[in-house]
Amino acid sequence: MLGLAAGALVLLAAAHALALEVQITTVHASEHGPSDAQLIDLRPRLRRLVGYHSFQVVGKEQRRCAWQTSEVFAIPGGRMLHVVPKGMRDQAVVMSVKLMDGSRALVDTDVRLQNRGVMLFGVGQDARAAEGALIIMLRAED
Amino acid sequence: MSAERVMTCAEVEGLLDAFVDAELPAPALLAVARHAGGCEACDAAVRELTALREAVERSVVAEAEALDLARVWPAVSQGVERHDARVEWRRRLRTVPAWGVALAVAASAVLWLRSPEPEPARLAAAPRRNQAVIERIDSSGHFELRRDRKYGTTLIMVSDQAGK
Repeated sequence: MLGLAAGALVLLAAAHALALEVQITTVHASEHGPSDAQLIDLRPRLRRLVGYHSFQVVGKEQRRCAWQTSEVFAIPGGRMLHVVPKGMRDQAVVMSVKLMDGSRALVDTDVRLQNRGVMLFGVGQDARAAEGALIIMLRAED
Repeated sequence: MSAERVMTCAEVEGLLDAFVDAELPAPALLAVARHAGGCEACDAAVRELTALREAVERSVVAEAEALDLARVWPAVSQGVERHDARVEWRRRLRTVPAWGVALAVAASAVLWLRSPEPEPARLAAAPRRNQAVIERIDSSGHFELRRDRKYGTTLIMVSDQAGK
């Protein structure tokens, strides 16, 4: 019994060591209104990239993802983000990311993101709309 | 002037200082002494000058003995050492071969001409914290890639117009 528990612990530790920490933060961007305090540091960068002025966190999830295994994150608004960590290359995380809206892939991409780096996915209208846009912040750490 | 001739008082008076200091040649010394031996005035003058000279000597010796040279000698000693060091360097420089001097001049020129600016290539090669490389991308609608120059953050902006 003790041996079984020890074996399980070893397997758990190994799985933990091999996992990639993925953090998904969903932000609603709009023209007016206050911004979330936790986004104060990011706000200038978001303004430059997205163009809106106000940013509010609407969802946040952090998970350990096993290599070569698809993980699905639910995004507020009914969309799904599929992440498949593939490996490390030159201090960067190689992964496949697919943003699904129902059965339709809004974007399907293979990226190489610097370890502990952040990249963004934005969903909006072609013209800047009053209802704003949805920003998905993906952070990966080996 | 002959040593045999008897000097006059005026002649002896002009030689008294030298006579007391024993700076005269032997024939002149003898002539002055012979005159002073027969002339009370010149003899008194010789005695007076000799007494004065002895008094000055005693005074100088006393002052020299009273001098505190404890602070003087270290400074003198350092001066002597510096002088010795300069002499030693001059001696070494004289022994350095010409090619050694040319090598030193060339090395100085290289250091002087070398640019002090940092190497920009290394800075440019350092990856930015959020740098992302898009290796493949597909989309069912319109998408746009945006990148923040300052932090290297990448944004893939997709339009949801097709879904509406």
